[in-house]
Amino acid sequence: MEIVLREEGHVSVLSLTGRLDLASGTSLKEEIKKLFDRDCASIHLDLSNVDFINSSGLGALVSVMKEVRLRKGRLTLSNLANYVKEIFEITQLSHIFEIFETEQEAINSYQSVPTS
Amino acid sequence: MPDYLLEYQSVSESEEKMHDDVTGILAAHNIEGELRQAFILTVSEAFTNALTHGNNYDTDKLIKISIYINHNSLTADIIDEGKGGLKKVFEKSPPTLLSEHGRGVDLMRYYSSAVRFRKTSIGGLRVTVVFEMKKNEVT
Repeated sequence: MEIVLREEGHVSVLSLTGRLDLASGTSLKEEIKKLFDRDCASIHLDLSNVDFINSSGLGALVSVMKEVRLRKGRLTLSNLANYVKEIFEITQLSHIFEIFETEQEAINSYQSVPTS
Repeated sequence: MPDYLLEYQSVSESEEKMHDDVTGILAAHNIEGELRQAFILTVSEAFTNALTHGNNYDTDKLIKISIYINHNSLTADIIDEGKGGLKKVFEKSPPTLLSEHGRGVDLMRYYSSAVRFRKTSIGGLRVTVVFEMKKNEVT
């Protein structure tokens, strides 16, 4: 999996490309830990180029979300492929993640919902 | 005899190789779309379980995948050489929304036509996933 990081104001935007599974889920958690080390807890994940996700990948996202919550930050997701969206719905994780249709909508939401 | 017999070392790198191998097999039979996605997902779930819980990354142990393709069904057997895998599958508590593990078996059951878990003669776990196919889903 390729992970590209950029900053949009105070939001760290990570664009993921490839498969989100056991190995890449571990890499993602390591990348995000580096953000936590810099006190960044406003994190957006653009999943538009994620073509595969399994329960290990979902577990990595849940792990990140819990860490973000501990830091009183926000984690948002956008651009889920239909297949990925369906897996979020089957597992009911769509109820606990903030999921936006587009990256811009997600980033705009940080301007109206402050984090502490 | 299976149509394809794949063997992998119990190392992290095998996950990607397995994914590429299974994708290639399905492409060779023109299996695409939702069936392709669902089959790869279920095999991936069983493979990850074999790697982490069954063989516990023991490099002396293999993960074997047999794939059977005919006009009516697409089947995979995923076999590990670990101990106690069957017990681990059935004694797991259901995941909560905030669980980081435990969704794999539910996804396998959701997407496949049938999934079976059996103990092998050496105590490992054999997971069989079956997908019934409609006409024209395989060539």
